[in-house]
Amino acid sequence: MSQQGVPAMSKTPSIDEEVWEQDLKERLFAKIPLFIFSLLMFTVALSFMGYEIPDALLWADFLLVFGVFTVYVVSRHLTLYVFKRLGEAVLTLFIIASLTFLLLRIMPGGPFDRDKALPPEVLANIEAKYNLNAPLYVQYFDYLKGLSRGYLGESYKYIGRGVTDIIMEALPVSFQLGFYSLILAFLLGIPLGVFAASKHNSRFDYFAMFLANSGTALPSFLVGPILIIIFCFWLNWLPAAFWDGPEYYILPVLTLGLRPVAVIARLTRANVLDVIRSDYIRTARSKGLAEKVVLYKHVLKNSLIPVLTFSGPLAAAILSGSFVIELIFNIPGIGKHFVESVTNRDYPLILGVTLVFSFLLVLANLIVDLLYVYFDPRIKLS
Amino acid sequence: MRSSSKSLWIDAFNRLKKNKASMVSLGIIIVLCFIALFARQISPYPFDEQHMDAILQPPSARFWLGTDSLGRDLLSRVIYGARMSMAVGILTAFISLILGTIYGVISGWFGGRVDALLMRALDIITSIPTLVLMILVKVIFDSVQLFENPELRALTSILLALSLVGWVSLARVVRGQVLQVKEMTFVEAARALGASQFWTVIKHVLPNILGPIIVLLSFQIPSNILFESFLSFIGLGLQPPFSSWGVLASEGAKSIRSYPHVIISPGVALFIAMLAFQFLGDGLRDALDPKMKGSV
Amino acid sequence: MPLNSRFWAIIFLSAAFFFSGCTKKKKSYDFDPKNTLFSRLGAEPPSLDWHKSSDTTSAEVIMNMMEGLVEYNLSDPELSLKPALAVKWRAENKAQRWIFTLREGVKWTDGKSFTAQQVVDGWERLLNPATASEYAYFLFGVKNAKAYNSGKIKDFSQVGVHVNSQGELVVDLEAPQSYFPYLLAHHSTYPIRKDVVKKFGDQWTNPRNIQTLGAYRLVKWDHDKAIVLKANKDFYGGEPPIKNVVLHIVKDAQAALNLFDTHKIDILDSLPSVELKHLRKRPEYRTVPLLGIYYFGLNVKKKPTDNVLVRKALSMAIDRKEITDMLGGGQVPMTSWVPKGMFGYMPDKGLKFNVKKARELLDKAGYKDRSRFPTLKLLFNTNEDHQRVAENIQAQLKRNLGINVELGNAEWKVYLSALKSNNTPHIFRMGWIADFPDPDNFLNLMTSYSANNHTNWSNKEFDRLILKAATVTDKKERLRLYGKAQEILVEKEVPVIPIYSYVSTQLVSKRVLGYASNAMGIKKYKEMRLQ
Repeated sequence: MSQQGVPAMSKTPSIDEEVWEQDLKERLFAKIPLFIFSLLMFTVALSFMGYEIPDALLWADFLLVFGVFTVYVVSRHLTLYVFKRLGEAVLTLFIIASLTFLLLRIMPGGPFDRDKALPPEVLANIEAKYNLNAPLYVQYFDYLKGLSRGYLGESYKYIGRGVTDIIMEALPVSFQLGFYSLILAFLLGIPLGVFAASKHNSRFDYFAMFLANSGTALPSFLVGPILIIIFCFWLNWLPAAFWDGPEYYILPVLTLGLRPVAVIARLTRANVLDVIRSDYIRTARSKGLAEKVVLYKHVLKNSLIPVLTFSGPLAAAILSGSFVIELIFNIPGIGKHFVESVTNRDYPLILGVTLVFSFLLVLANLIVDLLYVYFDPRIKLS
Repeated sequence: MRSSSKSLWIDAFNRLKKNKASMVSLGIIIVLCFIALFARQISPYPFDEQHMDAILQPPSARFWLGTDSLGRDLLSRVIYGARMSMAVGILTAFISLILGTIYGVISGWFGGRVDALLMRALDIITSIPTLVLMILVKVIFDSVQLFENPELRALTSILLALSLVGWVSLARVVRGQVLQVKEMTFVEAARALGASQFWTVIKHVLPNILGPIIVLLSFQIPSNILFESFLSFIGLGLQPPFSSWGVLASEGAKSIRSYPHVIISPGVALFIAMLAFQFLGDGLRDALDPKMKGSV
Repeated sequence: MPLNSRFWAIIFLSAAFFFSGCTKKKKSYDFDPKNTLFSRLGAEPPSLDWHKSSDTTSAEVIMNMMEGLVEYNLSDPELSLKPALAVKWRAENKAQRWIFTLREGVKWTDGKSFTAQQVVDGWERLLNPATASEYAYFLFGVKNAKAYNSGKIKDFSQVGVHVNSQGELVVDLEAPQSYFPYLLAHHSTYPIRKDVVKKFGDQWTNPRNIQTLGAYRLVKWDHDKAIVLKANKDFYGGEPPIKNVVLHIVKDAQAALNLFDTHKIDILDSLPSVELKHLRKRPEYRTVPLLGIYYFGLNVKKKPTDNVLVRKALSMAIDRKEITDMLGGGQVPMTSWVPKGMFGYMPDKGLKFNVKKARELLDKAGYKDRSRFPTLKLLFNTNEDHQRVAENIQAQLKRNLGINVELGNAEWKVYLSALKSNNTPHIFRMGWIADFPDPDNFLNLMTSYSANNHTNWSNKEFDRLILKAATVTDKKERLRLYGKAQEILVEKEVPVIPIYSYVSTQLVSKRVLGYASNAMGIKKYKEMRLQ
């Protein structure tokens, strides 16, 4: 299964020594992504099983991925492109920050509007503390000044806590949850889609798609409680809430993962159908290649491109947490801040989480665009 | 041109007919639309009639699906819910369709700098906190009342809020399609013959991107309905006392362990409708795919 | 093929190598349940700094690790005060001067002694404009406190609090306040260690830095996860019986209930309201009155609620009992203003449910032809319970008076700004939970100078009664004054329609003993035991 993401490896033995040598080198080279993939999976498995992950392993993961990406970018002459995109990203983030800043001030209700109204003297002191009594443009430039130094300000709600601290504490949890769900989505979604496409319009197709579609057919605030009732109260197998080890991970990951599984399965199915009907696959078939080989080797690689396009925004959305699932399973992730910072009118925190999300989105889209070239060398990025 | 495109649609429909799941789904959707239209005539009670002597009762002969926490008949609420949910799903999809198509066509057709600029703008719009937008839209449209009809009034802000979020993905797809179609020979020919840009777009580009748009529309509808339920869950949903499946489901989910009957009926309704739309969408995609011409 | 196997061999070897070096993470809150109480906090405490926090969640934690000059006697249903850091107190000059004798031999968690000056330090910090404390107004009754807080006076020694030569704390007030000692049970008036705050700045509430003198000390604060408290061996009242308290932060009521049912949490309050009818059958269920009222305000400047007859008709046309029966949590239907469980509660005051009379009043107001009666706009903040109540009132007014009400809901902060605007709707929902158990806290709400009075209603006689009652120490006389004030408010003028008096609903595990559920919703772990 893990070989999907890897270029097709030729297994035809060569007689010529020299050619064989070269072949060996190529094959070793081809193994590098596989190795890194295995290492990543190992890390994920370790963390899923509730083990303390050594820092060395995390660094190894990070450096290897980063290194390979750098080598990849440089070898394909994409360095300039990457820098250009990053420059654009800075501009985009700046506009997003400004626009959000403005919208927040238009929105009715202030951060210190309480159900029990505060006396004017008290309110004046608070506004002075947070500089809210200054003209709006001064506040805006102060915020930008802070931003340029990477300072996101201090939360209005959680007194004395920096926005960066709050995000750095909550984001890893959401990342963990999101990462498991994404893996579930790809591991289940792609085979399901291929399977359904290979049996197009048959009972199996309908059944597989029924399975997948069921995952998107109910809102997660309903799926979560249903799973809790079944696995916690009827079967007594899994805990109802918290985030404290493998047994705690299963239900939230399942709840969060069901939708992406379905989406990916459907996308894969549609694209596999698309590719199956294209001419060169017909040629491959007519040459008498085994059905499975055709399906997994030729069809899959080509039909993964649209799935890839979709994976960028999907990854960004899933990694940045889910309000509902974090609420239902009481997971201390970042999802709640996307909703609660707004209802609290906690301006610095709203801006903080918004920027984090846009940064993730921009980054995910960049990575996806870079991967395009890998999957389809005909694509040119400029 | 015209006749061939007509036969294309007939072909597509013939292919769709072969897909049993899609045809069943289409039937379900038509039935649901009827229920939505004739909700007032079908439902046994008015949707907001409270029976204080029968709060949270399980299904009985008097109330076939039981009652909710205000003693309202759940069957009637689910039937009326169909009306609101379908309205939210379909109307929102059409509003986003119009916005998205105009934006996407402009972006794709003019290309170059216009395209780059418009696409960056889309990135930015995607990143602006949805909740902030929702609250703003609701505040604005609660103060400016456009309609006299209470049902429409309850719907306006939610419709606009959802469309504001929904049109972005449509714009992206439309733009991609326009970029492809633009390069096709017949479009180039029309331009070479001196047809005006506007006319070329209307006559040659739009008909050719209609397939993918219809498919996307059929996916947009269920996701709108689901998104509405999420909004209800976090308290930004429909204006009470109107009910949608989302409102009912989020109410029911909160008492699922004590009163499962409250959640079962809207849950099942939602489930069936979602599946129907998705299967129909999948079927349409298969049927409208030009590569599949003649390969059935 | 050998290449392949060699590759996998390397992978597995390195995996095994790492694996052997890894340790399984310990479960986070693995305490012996025999001497550990597990409870729930409904949200992440915004701050454990008792001068800066302004919410009930933070208060719950703070009140268990700190002590004030006085504390509530929770087993007394009237919630009288009992000595804490002050052993006794007396009023002088008709309750305009209060003198507190402080307890001796009290130690902070680092062994330093508690002094009277630390109380003064605390008040100075609370009132200092730079602290920007929301609860600074709690002490605005103290002489010059308001002026100091608004920066008009820079010198704190002019504020009416000092330590006299006998080491007693002397407080001078602007005007007599008969209920003043109650304010000192509130966490915002607690003493503070100036040296600690100075040393650690904003970080002084970290478990490593904080110094307290209550029955428990803070040992762990995992944001958004849990707070862990440990018994303080040096507590002046003796080491409490429960050694550890784990406060899980659980936002969702449903999730909290699931945790209670799987024995992860021992005490649960604010139960999911839709399920109350079901939950109240359980043996662990408890309910006590909570000092709070649920009411609807009427805009007295807007047609037709500017007409007192219409307001009276509305109030009489609503059957409160139908609402409380529907909610099913044991709320007490109410037509008067002061909540049940507080002195000044007068259930027979107010306009009783009377459809016939209500219809007559509306006829008299000139709306005999109901179709001429404009549609009323009822606004509430988005919440399923408020929605149920609003929907029921809509139905009741339609049924009983034949008038139409249009419902509107708004997100909380949008709602608050709508109430403050000039365009307040005809009817709006509000609630009030006591800051301290005295009727002044409730009646003050509707004075013409109250920032929380959104009805546009003002009445000189009412204002005068409230101001006077605050200065009277004789309980009987106060009762009489508050009775008269309530008559004006809910019988003669009717700018508000009280609906019910709140209750607190709880599930308490059988293994928890000695927990006195009380009208202020306070939990004191030092008074509890485990079975």
